[in-house]
Formats: sequence, C-alpha cells, structure tokens
Amino acid sequence: MNPATFEKGMVFFLTILTLLVSSLLLIILATVFAKGLPALHSGFLIEASENFGREGGIIYQLMGTLILMTGAVLISLPVALGSVIYQTQYLKSETGKEICRQFAQMLNATPTILFGLVGYLFFGVYLETGVSWVTGSLILAVMILPTLQVSIREAIEALPDQYKDAGMALGLSPWSQIKTIIIPQCYYGIITGVFLGLARAAGETAAIMFAATTFSGIHLPESFSDPVPTLQTHMLVLTQEAANPEALAQAWSAGLVLLSLVFFLTVMAWILRSRLKMEAEL
Amino acid sequence: MFRMLLFFLVAIGVIPFPVSADHSPKIEIVGSTTVLPIASRAAERFEKLQKIEKFKSSHRLRILVNAGGSGVGIHSVAKGRSDIGMASREISPSERKRFEGSHLKVHTVAVDAVACVISSEIYEAGIRDLTRQEIRDIYLGKIRNWKEVGGPDRKIVVVDKERHRGTRHVFMNYIFGNPTAKTPGTILVTGSNNEEQTKIAQSDSAIGMLSYAWINDEVRAIGIRDNKSIVNLTRETIRKGNYPIVRNLSFITAGEPNGEVKAFLEYLKSPEGQQLVEESGYIPFT
Amino acid sequence: MKKVATFPSHNKPKSMENESHGIMWVFAGLNLIFLCCAGGLFLFLIFESYPIFKLHGFDFWLGQDWWVGEAYGALPMLYGSTLVTALACLLVLPLALAVAIFISEFLTPTSRRCVKAILELLAGVPGIVYGLLGVSFLSLWIKDVFGLLDGNTLATASCLLAIMILPTVLTLSEDAMRSVPAEYRDNALGLGLSKWQTATAVVLPQALPGIMGAVLLGIGRAMGETIAVMLVVGSLDRIPDPWFNIFSSAQTIPSKLGREAAEAIGEGTHWSALMALGLTLFIMVLLINFIGNRFLKRRSIS
Repeated sequence: MNPATFEKGMVFFLTILTLLVSSLLLIILATVFAKGLPALHSGFLIEASENFGREGGIIYQLMGTLILMTGAVLISLPVALGSVIYQTQYLKSETGKEICRQFAQMLNATPTILFGLVGYLFFGVYLETGVSWVTGSLILAVMILPTLQVSIREAIEALPDQYKDAGMALGLSPWSQIKTIIIPQCYYGIITGVFLGLARAAGETAAIMFAATTFSGIHLPESFSDPVPTLQTHMLVLTQEAANPEALAQAWSAGLVLLSLVFFLTVMAWILRSRLKMEAEL
Repeated sequence: MFRMLLFFLVAIGVIPFPVSADHSPKIEIVGSTTVLPIASRAAERFEKLQKIEKFKSSHRLRILVNAGGSGVGIHSVAKGRSDIGMASREISPSERKRFEGSHLKVHTVAVDAVACVISSEIYEAGIRDLTRQEIRDIYLGKIRNWKEVGGPDRKIVVVDKERHRGTRHVFMNYIFGNPTAKTPGTILVTGSNNEEQTKIAQSDSAIGMLSYAWINDEVRAIGIRDNKSIVNLTRETIRKGNYPIVRNLSFITAGEPNGEVKAFLEYLKSPEGQQLVEESGYIPFT
Repeated sequence: MKKVATFPSHNKPKSMENESHGIMWVFAGLNLIFLCCAGGLFLFLIFESYPIFKLHGFDFWLGQDWWVGEAYGALPMLYGSTLVTALACLLVLPLALAVAIFISEFLTPTSRRCVKAILELLAGVPGIVYGLLGVSFLSLWIKDVFGLLDGNTLATASCLLAIMILPTVLTLSEDAMRSVPAEYRDNALGLGLSKWQTATAVVLPQALPGIMGAVLLGIGRAMGETIAVMLVVGSLDRIPDPWFNIFSSAQTIPSKLGREAAEAIGEGTHWSALMALGLTLFIMVLLINFIGNRFLKRRSIS
C-alpha cells in the first residue's frame, strides 16, 4: 500500500475512534435523559418519595445531597485554603513541600470506600457524631480536600510575581499580603475549587452509605445527630430493584437529577476558571 | 457573585440549625430487608398517630428505618447504634454469646416462609417442585443442569445470598441443617431481597431463595417434595406450619423496651399493626 | 491597604509582628490537620488490621476461603481486583493511545478544547449512574452477546471500569503529548516527515512515559471504585475456574467492603479482616499511583 493512503486510512480510523469516544458522553447523556424524563413528572423535584421510593418525588433526597456537599465544602475550604497558604507562603523547606505534595496525592488516590469506613469509625464512633449528616460532611470534607487544594494552589501559583514584589515593597507583612493580595486575587480560583469540590462530593456514594444516610423516616435533619436521605443512596436502593419497572424509572429520574447537578457544578467551575485565566492574562 | 455564593452555601448549611435545639424523640430501626416493609409502613402510620395524639406538642416522634440485613440489625442494636434491630431469623448461639451483655430481647410480629424460587421460564417448562436432596445437590454443584431434575436442557444459575442475610440462614438451615453451609455450586451472590428477585427475574434459568412477600409472576415459588407428598407454598401451608421453611420476623431490642420504643412495638402487635403485616404480604403472628 | 503601607518594613509595630506570627501558626495548624487526615488514615488502617495479621500472619493474603467466624482468606478478592483492573487497563490502553494521538496532533485547537471539555464532564459522572447503566444495559448485553448464564461477571465490571476511567486516562495522555516541545514537531516536519510520521515516530516515543503515568493513575482510580463494580461483578468470593475465565462472577476488594462492612463495623476479627483488605487495597493503589506520578514527573523534567 502506498504510504500516503495508509496514513490517510489511519487518520480516518482515528477520527472515527475519537468520534466514538466523544459520542460516549452523548450516549450516556441520551440514555439518562431518555430513561429519566418519562418518569420526571412536574412534582418530581418538590414531592417526597412514597412507597419505598417507587412513587413520588425526591425533594428530601435532593436536600440531603445538597446539605452533605455544602457541609463538606464549608468544613474543607478553610483547611484547604490555610494549608495551601502555609505551603506556598510560609513553608520554606523543599522537603516539607514535597511531603505535603505526596500526602495530597495520597489523599487524592485513596479509594473512597476507605474514607467511608475509617471516617465513620473515627468521627462517628470515636468522636460520637454517630450516623449523621455531620459525619457524612466530615468524611466528604476530607475526601474533597485535595480537589480544593489543587485549584487554590493553581490560582496562587499563577499570580504574577510583581504582585508579591509590590506587596513586599510596600512593606506588607505576610499576613497583610495574604489578606490584601492573595485571597482577593485568587478568589476565582478558590471558587472554582469550591465548585469542583461540590461536584465531587455530590457524585460520591461509597463514602457516605454507611455513615450518613437513611432509607426512610427522616425528611430534613433536625439536629446534628440525624442522618439524611441522599440521592445517591436512594438510587442505589432503587437500582438493586431493577426488575421492578416503577423503581427503575424512578432510579433513572433520580440519576438524571444527580447528573444535571454534577454537570451544572462542573460547568460553573469552568466559567469561573476561564475568568481566572482572563485575569491572569491581563 | 461571590457574596451570593457565600450566602447560598451558608443558607443551606444552616437549614438544620434552627430546629436543632429542639430534640424531638427518635427511634432508629436497622436490619433485615425482609422485615423492612413492615417497619416502614408501621413507622409512617405510627408517626401520624402520634402527631394526632400530641399535636400540641412540638415534639414529633420520628422513626428512622434502614436496611442492611439481619446480621447488621442484631449487631447494631447490641452495640447500641440503633434502638431496634430487625431480624428475619433467630439470634444465633454465637451472637447470643457475643452479645450476652446486651440482653437481647426478641419481639416477633409476623410469620414468613422462605421459598425456593425459580425463574418463570423454568416453571413454565414444568418444574413445579424439588426434593430437599435435589436442592442440596444444586447448591453443592453436583447438579448443574435443569434436565437432571426433569427440566429443559439448560444450565442452572445458582443464586446465593450474602452470608449474613437472615433468609440465607433459614434456607440453608433447612436444606443443609447448617445455617452457614458452604455452597460451591453458587454462580452469583446477591444481597437484599430486591436484588435477588431482580437477578432471578432477569435470568431464564435461575434458582434462589426469597421471602414469601417477594414472589410474583416472574419469580415463581416451587413446592418441596418429600417421598410422594408435595408441599406447595400457600398462605394456608404457612399458617398451618406444613410448609417446612417458615420463620418468624422479629424486632429486637437490647433489654426491655420502654417509652416510645415500647409503644411502637405494642402498636405492631395490635390488630392495626397486624393489618400492616398482612399488607406487607406476611402472615400475622398470633 | 493604604494604612498598612505607611509603615516602613523595619519598624513595624510589635503588635503586628505578633499578629503575623499568630496567623502563621493558624495556617500551620490547618496544614497539620490536612497532614493528619492523610497520615491518620494510613495509621488507622494499620492499627485496625493488626489483629488479623497477628492471628493469621501473611496467610491472610494466601487463603482462599472467607467464612466469617472461621477463615479469612483474601486471595479471591485480591485476584478479582487485580484481574478486573488489568482487563480494564487492556481495554483502555489502545483506545487511549489512538485517541490521544488524534486529539493532540490532528485536531484544530477549537475542536481539541471541545473534546477535552466533553472528557472532563465525562470524568465527573457519578459512579452510581455508571452502576445503573451497568445493571440495566451492560450486564444484559454481555449476557446476550456471549450467551452466558448471567451478566454479572468480571468482564462486565472491567468494561464498565474501562468506560469510567477512559476520560481521565485520555485527558492525561493528551496532556503528555501536548507537553512534547513544539520544536520536535517543527524539526520533524522540516525534515520532510509527514504529520502521521511525526506523530508516531517523534511525538509518541517522547510522550510514552507520560502516557504510562496516565494509564497508571487511571488504574489507581479503577481499583478503588466501589458502587459501580459492586452492582455488576457478581460478588462471589471465589477465584474463577479456570483462573482466566473472565465470564464468571468474582469479587473485588471495594465491593467486598461495601457489602460486608455494615455487619461488622467497629470491632472483632471480622472487622479487622475487612480493614486488612482495605489496607491491602490502599497500599496497592498508593504504589500504582506513586509509580504513575513518577512517570508523569519524568516527562516534565525531560
């Protein structure tokens, strides 16, 4: 075969492959929509579930997911921000930085079910928060810590050196520099991290299924020791009931809502990140 | 933008707080997926009853119901992680010994049977009953094809359950005389009744074990043959005790129940509670 | 800001110095919390799994039977995890290579951004949604296509995992290829090589370590996936017979933990055995990840 034809053939083949892979998302999206929309009646988002989740809506499951992920970010954000600032602004030793980096990678790689089990035992049993949304938020907070750290670190490292030099020239103490330069200039980076963290927490099931969720009996938590129903575990229960068409339809609709939530958060993060890029280029 | 976001985050974060000072009473129930329908239904009704009785008080009783399996139920009530455990089997001697200090007390509310179930295709093909020996050989992997027991020429999908599940304990206790029997013939392991029902319904040559309430057109119960007599699974044979694999569905407390827990258990045993047992597809315990 | 700027740096008021110092300790404390989270997890796993290793020693990893209260052998789970991940990797590797070449070398910048955006979204799809797809489509398809007894098999779990990690692996591989300096391409093209030859003979060898790293990071993720795998793997604690039979049910470590942990939580030999499984998984994932990151780093240095 003549080499030019061969190359054209290969490139054509690769085009097809790439199209296939890209269409994977469309297939997944289309499937979730096609299966989820029919059961998505008008009240789905504002009604409580009935008959073991086979009928009704998912309002409280959705609220549970929102509470858990918000709690997680509220707990995680100060720690992530503080640790990154410490590592970039105060920590001088290269070994120290390397250790922190390794630990962050380790945390990022840890299988999520281990967060669930160890977290439950540590927070739920030793610190006596029990099976509750607090435990769930704490576990998710540890889980999304590296996600937040990466975004914040990127933003801080992208700051032009002149900013810091100017701050130093003005005689600002490190704290004043942080307060007046770093945090304001990085806040798109921080919020990008927040959204990515929220998205990651929203999609997680294994970490919270033992420690924070309940099947029925609770709508909204009324105290720190209450578990919440969540979209993820709701789906898990319904998925195991796949032979029952009603349950399956509800599972798809819940999946549609969950997927939309995650996609929304991710796209928000992109928008903010592109703003960050624009500012960095100015 | 940033402020809006912050506001949004804090708003969601504080939803649980305004009411957190007011600790309304709460009962936590964990355990068997077989008992779960009864518990869930009863919890819903009982909460409403309580509301009507004490509607002036802001203390609203809440009853949390969670699945997990009988083993989980017994374990968590004994360890004080829940108020009531649900079990679809007896507390095993080893559990009795292990949790001696918790003084587990069993409150039976319903009678159920564990059926040997097969996929509807096999049922249609003429398998209506099996002997205990045949079921045993299927689970041991000695019989691997339906034609060896008079069915179509198709391999058997032997569905087993997770080992701590109550249904498995009861079933294996009858088939092998040992609740934790080893079953080398197993092809697939499932967890909850729902999951097992799904796998058997999706398959066209499966055998498994399910609670009476989970039997439907796609998952058919077969009779147990003994010499020449066949015991089919009906309400009557369960009630009379003819069907060999029956069990009690119970709620378990650590020590004598009191307060709301006691009231809830009494409600379950009342005629109204027993009506819920019927609705869930089980036989009331008398 | 203006107010602060009026102080020359050499005579800061004492109070400010102190404040600055105090604040530093706050940040250091927050960093310590972060380090404790990561390190504590590891120590906790070791501490919790110690009893089972004391009881069974290394036989824990070699035993083939797992009967609560009698024997705890981790081999079937270890084997299942390894096989599922290896298969997923085999499925992903050629696809990732081919598509990464195409995206990085043949696409216009706009369409490249577009494809990468799609991939990033795809990487965020929750595991439970994949689980639902697996239960209601993939496992039924695999059952029909291969004429199996049941669709919950090692192969199903591998396919599902392959789809799950594909976006991550692709994104990282593509990054690796883009990071090959532009001069290499320009020189190759200047020497009269075609675009295809440049891509395969010049860029690809340079990017190979990075791509290896990407695949390893993907594997690390696949190994720890719980929910999706738990729903389709069959959960049978047995080494398939024969050992390469990928169309039989098996068990992976995360799936075993997901199914059994609730029963044992907190104490006893059973819990310790489960934690030892968790520790094993943790160490495996860490090793894979460490090597993967080394590959990625080597690429960035060269």
